[in-house]
Amino acid sequence: MKNIKRFFSLMLVMCILITSVACGNTTEPTKQTGTYKVPTLKLEGGTDFGTPNPYLHASRGPGNAKMNLVFASMLEKNAEKDVQWLAKEWSFKDNEYTFTLFENLKFHDGKPLTTEDVAFSIDYYKNYPPISNSLGSGDKFIVDKYEIVDKQTIKIYVNNVNANTLNSLGSFVIIPKHIWEKVTDPYKYKGEDYLVGSGAYKCTQYDGATGSYEFTAFDGWVNGKQAAERILFVPVSDSILAFENGEIDITKMPPDLKDKYMSDENIGYIEKTNDMGYKMLINYEKCPGFLDINLRKAIYYALDRQSVVDKVFRKMGSVGSAGYVPQDTLFYNPDVTKYEYNPQKAKELMKDKKYSVTILTSDSAKDLNIAEIVKNNLAEINIDVKVVSYDSATRDSMVNKGEYEFAIVGNGGWGNNPPNYMRTIFSDVAKNKGGNPHNMGAIGYKNDEITDLCEKQVFETDFEKRKQMFKNIQKLVSDEIPLFVIANESSYSMYRINYFDGWTKTYAYSQAEQNRLSFMEK
Amino acid sequence: MKYRKITILVVCFISLCCIFLYGVTFYKYSSVLPSGSALEKPNLLHILGTDDLGVDIFAQISRSFFHSMFIGLSCAFITFILGGVLGISAGFVGGKVDILISFFINIALSIPQLPVMIVLGAFLGQRTSNVILIISAFSWGSIAKIMRAKTISICDKPFIKLAKSYGGTNFYIIYNHLLRQLLPLLSVNAIAVIGSAIIQESSLAYLGLSDPLARSWGLMISKATRFNGIFFTEFWKWWLMSPLVSLVICTVLLRLLSKELQQILQN
Repeated sequence: MKNIKRFFSLMLVMCILITSVACGNTTEPTKQTGTYKVPTLKLEGGTDFGTPNPYLHASRGPGNAKMNLVFASMLEKNAEKDVQWLAKEWSFKDNEYTFTLFENLKFHDGKPLTTEDVAFSIDYYKNYPPISNSLGSGDKFIVDKYEIVDKQTIKIYVNNVNANTLNSLGSFVIIPKHIWEKVTDPYKYKGEDYLVGSGAYKCTQYDGATGSYEFTAFDGWVNGKQAAERILFVPVSDSILAFENGEIDITKMPPDLKDKYMSDENIGYIEKTNDMGYKMLINYEKCPGFLDINLRKAIYYALDRQSVVDKVFRKMGSVGSAGYVPQDTLFYNPDVTKYEYNPQKAKELMKDKKYSVTILTSDSAKDLNIAEIVKNNLAEINIDVKVVSYDSATRDSMVNKGEYEFAIVGNGGWGNNPPNYMRTIFSDVAKNKGGNPHNMGAIGYKNDEITDLCEKQVFETDFEKRKQMFKNIQKLVSDEIPLFVIANESSYSMYRINYFDGWTKTYAYSQAEQNRLSFMEK
Repeated sequence: MKYRKITILVVCFISLCCIFLYGVTFYKYSSVLPSGSALEKPNLLHILGTDDLGVDIFAQISRSFFHSMFIGLSCAFITFILGGVLGISAGFVGGKVDILISFFINIALSIPQLPVMIVLGAFLGQRTSNVILIISAFSWGSIAKIMRAKTISICDKPFIKLAKSYGGTNFYIIYNHLLRQLLPLLSVNAIAVIGSAIIQESSLAYLGLSDPLARSWGLMISKATRFNGIFFTEFWKWWLMSPLVSLVICTVLLRLLSKELQQILQN
């Protein structure tokens, strides 16, 4: 009897032990990783953002971010300033910019990365502009010439110095000369070495059909240590369920669950104030009637943009500034012309005119909700709206080709750095180039005054003067309304503090999930 | 007693129609415009609550019913004509016509429906007419096959042979002998198409391949499930369950109705 009791007691203890091990938090980092802080970081995938190389990635932020994990530029940005990435030192004087690379840099195939590759990348990008193109193209190519001092140091001379030059030179990614010098059509090249990069992570798996990516830490990386051995982008059906089940390590916090998660001491979060923005574009070549400023004002007065904030963003955001730059940001001009919701005034401005337009939008729930609100609002002023929706990539492509009458476009990155986008949206010589949502300006609309200011601000190196120039641009934009800023959305990304808390923003971009410094040990 | 089951089913279906008819006629809220706050719980004013834009859910469900029924009936009509004409032609004419039509019937039946429907939906665009055409294109095959088999079986009967030997024209034989026997079977099968068309339309809408702002149960379900964190809130109880339950009740009723009619015909 005693033995039976002992046996059952032993079994009970074993059961408890097994259960306690099995029920433990599966997202706890294991001790097997050795040199990395965590074995894997899992993020929400499921969308194909293209192959992570400079010519095949999607032009949206998540596509660019994945490419930037695999291909490195000379500089990076942290929350305050520009920091080392491939270059350990840099300096500039007049139009001469000198970069000194780290020693023993390597590409993923083990071949050395030298200034020869930097110079080759410049020449190659001049002939074949990449999707994310900081060097410009054609007559606007910013590099005049370069001088290779030695294997680590290169001097780059630019045509014109402006406030963005260091950012432009520091952010183009370096491609291996020994691979790409043989490639004559990089936009189609898919040889076995097309993903050999210079970044901290190697792309070890990519499946466009499921939107799955796997990045593995590159052991030849010399500038610091990667935080995770692997980064996985996994398709999930419901991001919150996936986060709760430990299938992903970071996700967007739903506004309706803000209280629940913010009161949880195990959850950390990153605030992204007004970082996402939605605008409505008019293709004036297809709808020339709307070149009449009164009609544009009528549309703006007819739009109940507060209901977009309240209902679509669940009160997390603000009504968009007619001058484009969001409220509560450094460059925001509070004196822009404002268009409060006023259907009566809108009707008066319409003067009994009737129109019928098609609005192009993406098939995301938010875009469709905004389109529904816009449709209902415009119906009140006799503008009959038909809504057509496509996936985001198709919508972007159609917008870039001008295949739309009205279009609703949403993208991130509004919050921090207007100098990066105001010119590419409103200058008639810079807009609608490059396929990036931030370049999507109005087609068929020209304004010399706005263009002149947008082009001049680039060469203004005095910060306060430049800021004032941006305020003037915003005022002009709000008076002329070449496009309609609908609303800006604020959001939070949440993550488990006890698993990984290295998520960080840059001074120019709030999306921590898209910042490669988030994946490095601090 | 013989028709008790079908009577109950018909009464249930008519009741459902009446409830939804009320929702699109006398019910005070629009199915398109917001009439309350966002995501209101079911209450005395909004009996099934509101969605995230504040649009009344009962009004949307009612309108979705007629949208779905319109698509279902249109598909049933097209398949009734197409399946009937081709099936009867194949069975009656025989020979090369039969071989050719049977070939197309087999193709229509062997193609995996949903993937091809998704591709066609993406290519043709999001109009309701396209949804009807796509669903019809995949629904006529089974009806045509049944009609062909039944026609062949009737044509083998002595009275058809007798009519032919007395000089009865093809039109005379089809109109006076075949259609009388085939029409009830054709109608029952067409009714079955309504139910499956509603589900297929909802599937296409759920996948974003129908008119994005139309009122449809599939779209309502899609919209609710895409709401970030819905399963951790209480919103799913009225926003997701209402269209889901409506879809299930409607399709089950139509399926049972079709089954009962078939049994009555067989007896």
